[in-house]
Amino acid sequence: MTHYLSLYGLFLRQRFKILMEYRMNFLIGATSTIILQGASLLTITVVMSQIPHLNGWTLEAIFLIYGLITLAKSINHMFADNLWTIGGQYIRTGMFDRFLVRPVDPLFHLLADRFCHDGIGNFLVGSALVAYAWHALAIPLTVFNLIYLIVMVISGGLIFIALNLITAVSAFWVIESVPVTRAIFDNHLFAQYPLTIYPQAIGILLTWVIPYGFASFYPASYLLGQEVGLLAFLSPIVAIVLLSLSYRFWRFGLRHYAGTGS
Amino acid sequence: MNTLILRRHWRAFAGIAEMTPKFFLAYRAWVWLAFFSQGLSMTIFLFFWRAVYENTDQIGGLNLDQTLTYVLLAQVISLSVWTNVVSNMGHMVREGQIGVEFLRPIDFQWAQYLGGISQLAISLLLNLPLLGLALLYGAQLPTDVRVWIAFLVSLFLGYTVIFLFDWCIACLVFYTTEVWGLMVFLTGVSAFFSGVLIPLVMMPTWLQTIAAALPFSQVVFVPVGLLSGTIPLTEAPARWLTQLIWVIGLAIVSRICFQIASRKVTVQGG
Repeated sequence: MTHYLSLYGLFLRQRFKILMEYRMNFLIGATSTIILQGASLLTITVVMSQIPHLNGWTLEAIFLIYGLITLAKSINHMFADNLWTIGGQYIRTGMFDRFLVRPVDPLFHLLADRFCHDGIGNFLVGSALVAYAWHALAIPLTVFNLIYLIVMVISGGLIFIALNLITAVSAFWVIESVPVTRAIFDNHLFAQYPLTIYPQAIGILLTWVIPYGFASFYPASYLLGQEVGLLAFLSPIVAIVLLSLSYRFWRFGLRHYAGTGS
Repeated sequence: MNTLILRRHWRAFAGIAEMTPKFFLAYRAWVWLAFFSQGLSMTIFLFFWRAVYENTDQIGGLNLDQTLTYVLLAQVISLSVWTNVVSNMGHMVREGQIGVEFLRPIDFQWAQYLGGISQLAISLLLNLPLLGLALLYGAQLPTDVRVWIAFLVSLFLGYTVIFLFDWCIACLVFYTTEVWGLMVFLTGVSAFFSGVLIPLVMMPTWLQTIAAALPFSQVVFVPVGLLSGTIPLTEAPARWLTQLIWVIGLAIVSRICFQIASRKVTVQGG
């Protein structure tokens, strides 16, 4: 484990050397998401300023939900972006075969190969939203709440990574896995808003099938003092179960991988 | 002579018509994904706006049906209206292709514009299935033919405005070769001020003023507004006139920009 951690540090240092060569691109990449998120957030603000609440949720409460999902997404974006590019960049080119003959876990190698700086923008947007909402909603700043927040954000990030991993395994058969991954990933957009505005079927889908709800809605409900029962604490368990399932599926896919011959 | 030209044109069009389904099949997964993603955002929009209208009957003078009609149609139409002038130009300058374009006996800007218009038409047709979803979700299409004409004219003029605006931006690639950052910035600004996300009449007046000073609303808010009835038919001529003024102004500016910028061209190896 410590071996892998120090290895990751080495990969990261090399990656930043490359990124610093193109400083302007680094800055633009990191800020681009801020501008795009700004457009949606401004729109929500404009709409919310004309109604008292959205299905019982104030603007600040929606910012909390939106901020939590954005933070979870940014973890996936920064540390696991290669799950998007595995088909086009690694399997098609034969680069992936390189990982198979090295003395480290191929999945670790794939993820460590590229830290994605574009995710920093989402991390900043998410942090700012959560901090603002936390203050505006007067959520008590206790040690327990802070630990709760950190655990929930990491769990949310792992849920994103696990779902992307499951779908990325399809690359071993069809090479280009982005359409499959994207089709599942896009469902997180539902979880930018309170799940109560949707019909029950969508709520169940986002809780038990594609569980992005655990990355935003349930933790936010708990922090706001809404009654959601055990679901408020289930995120880490969901994340671990999903992650071990997806890793098993990854191993299964890897055994069936035969290379593209390129 | 005439029949010869006609036949040649016919063959070109037949070629394009044959290409389209092939393209569709080759990128099947991507096409399905595009439909799926857009359908998903339309679903979110539907329930978001229903929740918004739980507490109010009107926002910015629009009721739920009017807003849903506008928002859903905007989602369908806005998929087709953006040009790729800037990225094309960047590609041509980097690859040296631009030199070949200058040698052709036809006007470069017109050729690109006509290509863009045909792309707009094909893209609108390909996205028709999404219109079905919009209708299913409660969007209402006008029955008055004059509204359709008003929509098509303003869509055509609006596309021309955006094409010419993008042409001015594209001239910058002759100096920098890298305009990615600017593109990202403009995408963000246009997402907010074009009217893709909300009908602009819902915005406070000062934001509407900024939106009117930018070209983006000409290609989304104006045509979709006319089609959905957010902008009454009687306002159509005034809107067209505004668009025409944009077109004339930007046409002049874009020609001048290109004249100056193209003198700057240094093809990199090629």
